Amino acid sequence: MTDRLIALLNTLLPGDGADWPSAGSDAMAARTIELARGAPGVSDALTAILNALPDDFGTLQQTQREDILRGIEADRADQFDAVVTVSYNAYYTTPRIRDVIERLTGYENRPPQPLGYELEPFDESLLDAVKARGPIWRPVD
Amino acid sequence: MTETADIAIVGAGAAGLAFAWSAAAPGLKIVVLEAGGTVDQARAPSLRQDWELALQTTFNANPNVRQGPADYPVDDTESAIHPAIFNAVGGSTIRWGAHFPRFRPSDFRRQSLDGAAADWPLSYSELEPFYDTNDEMMGVSGLSGDPANPPRAPRPCPPLPLCAATERLAGAFDRLGWHWWPSDAAILSKASRERASCNNCGPCGVGCPLHARASADIAYLAAAQARGIELRAGTAVVELERTSNGRTITGLRYKDADGEGQIACGEVVFAGNALGNARLLDSIVDHRLFGRGLMVHPTAIVTGLFDESVQSWRGPFAAAMVCQQFCESDPARGFTGGFQLQALRGQGPLTTALGGYGLRVPWGQSHIPTFVARFGQTLSLTVTCDDLCEEHNRIALHETARDRLGLPVPRLIYRVGDNSRKMLAFGIDRATEALRAAGARHIDVNPLTRNAGFHLMGTARMSSSDALGVTNSYGRVFGMDNLSIVDASTFVTAAAVNPTPTLQAIALRAATAMRDSHTGTEKAVA
Repeated sequence: MTDRLIALLNTLLPGDGADWPSAGSDAMAARTIELARGAPGVSDALTAILNALPDDFGTLQQTQREDILRGIEADRADQFDAVVTVSYNAYYTTPRIRDVIERLTGYENRPPQPLGYELEPFDESLLDAVKARGPIWRPVD
Repeated sequence: MTETADIAIVGAGAAGLAFAWSAAAPGLKIVVLEAGGTVDQARAPSLRQDWELALQTTFNANPNVRQGPADYPVDDTESAIHPAIFNAVGGSTIRWGAHFPRFRPSDFRRQSLDGAAADWPLSYSELEPFYDTNDEMMGVSGLSGDPANPPRAPRPCPPLPLCAATERLAGAFDRLGWHWWPSDAAILSKASRERASCNNCGPCGVGCPLHARASADIAYLAAAQARGIELRAGTAVVELERTSNGRTITGLRYKDADGEGQIACGEVVFAGNALGNARLLDSIVDHRLFGRGLMVHPTAIVTGLFDESVQSWRGPFAAAMVCQQFCESDPARGFTGGFQLQALRGQGPLTTALGGYGLRVPWGQSHIPTFVARFGQTLSLTVTCDDLCEEHNRIALHETARDRLGLPVPRLIYRVGDNSRKMLAFGIDRATEALRAAGARHIDVNPLTRNAGFHLMGTARMSSSDALGVTNSYGRVFGMDNLSIVDASTFVTAAAVNPTPTLQAIALRAATAMRDSHTGTEKAVA
């Protein structure tokens, strides 16, 4: 089952062969299982999708695997949707992936709090043009 | 012996806690009963690396998905909009963006000005001092002088800054000759009263560990308790007791962790939102309009994708800037009423991958290139529409389904009206125009946000006539001696902006009148 899960994750999130690892690498399969267990119905959905894969799924080319998954997605939309969500959940909360995001985008690999970001003062001169156009609200009384 | 309260308030959200604070007076026993528990925002998910998972679970806006201990199911099978409410001390302000606009004077006079909807039995000028008080209590950052609104008192704190993305948008609005202004935000830009200044982290919707972002519990609870009000968290009212003629509520039955209890009361004030109120009041309020005329804010979200990173994850996600160029009604547009364009910043990486305000990033080989092109490179505009009151849109009760307390499951019954559809279409075009002018190379449109059932208005609308409304301007229910409703369900019009400042101002006004009538300082309001 683990090999099949890794093949499934590698198909959903294959990475780019350079900066981005595939979702079947490292401990992301275990993380996917852990998160699935914590969400109602998701473990069952994952099992159902894995059981729907052909025995030779892991030996096929990426494009062939994607074709198979598209068929399963059409037949079992809700279950497949749950599996995609939990796969993304695992992938994007994995520290190694967050390192890649930081390196490529500047989004730091840390929680938003407590550090946050600098709060610069508002530049009121930006509003000069708006103020010059005058009031646009309707007086009533 | 049965406990007695002079005033029992059902619901400790934005309206309930504001009401409690304002109604408090020496000698008055005020008890607030809240089905939900307290939320310790000092331990907010934003302190964790996996904070975005909380948006799908404990901080999911939809109670049917969240299924927290205080949540009751909502039947939304007949609604275009899903509920987005939070049941806890602080109510839905626990799970909000703290965007804090006021209604404009014309919003209270739509019938007189436009021949649409109805006039309120009160005016902007009557509410203005309560808006001001509420701004001080909530801790509002902003800038007075907005030409889309009447002059107002200096804001308690300076405005929150723009960012690279919203500065682009500001420039675009200027080139188009359209209004824009920094949002009034219930977020502190400087420390005040034991609350720290905002540190621009972004995800306000999962609670603020700094208490910079206001919620009703942070802003009002301690002050209300200092005045002597008593909060009963985890206490769900399950039944109202009445006199034989049905006009007077004599007490409330409740369930809490210790079992069942009851409290006798002089006045009963409901602040549990349109859904929560209906569960308890549908069999009490004998008025043909109760539950009917539900208004929401039909909302489209238009997202612009830029060619380079604008680091749009920085800053409060929903409280940056607004365009109110189209808020006032103009019949030449083909619909009545107006809409607001509100900037929404980008989201975290996981939420971006899951679709954010639009479509999920596709799985498969195109996933990474699509994610890279989106993350940190988007800015969105809501098209927030002034909905009309239509009686077929309503809150009803399920005939057979019951929640864990044995209360009937509320049904949210709503379809978007023709006027709002025209407004959405026009607004989507304007939002697209603005984002294109800001340099977006690609536009994604979510034509109707399904998870937008956060502003539930109009199902107990106020009026000066009992034939045209359920309550008077103080929220007192016609035909009842001691029952009031003080939340957004009393709204007569929806306006094009978020309702919280207005519902809190209404609650403060009603509470002041009730307090004064009890203490003999002013005329009774019944």
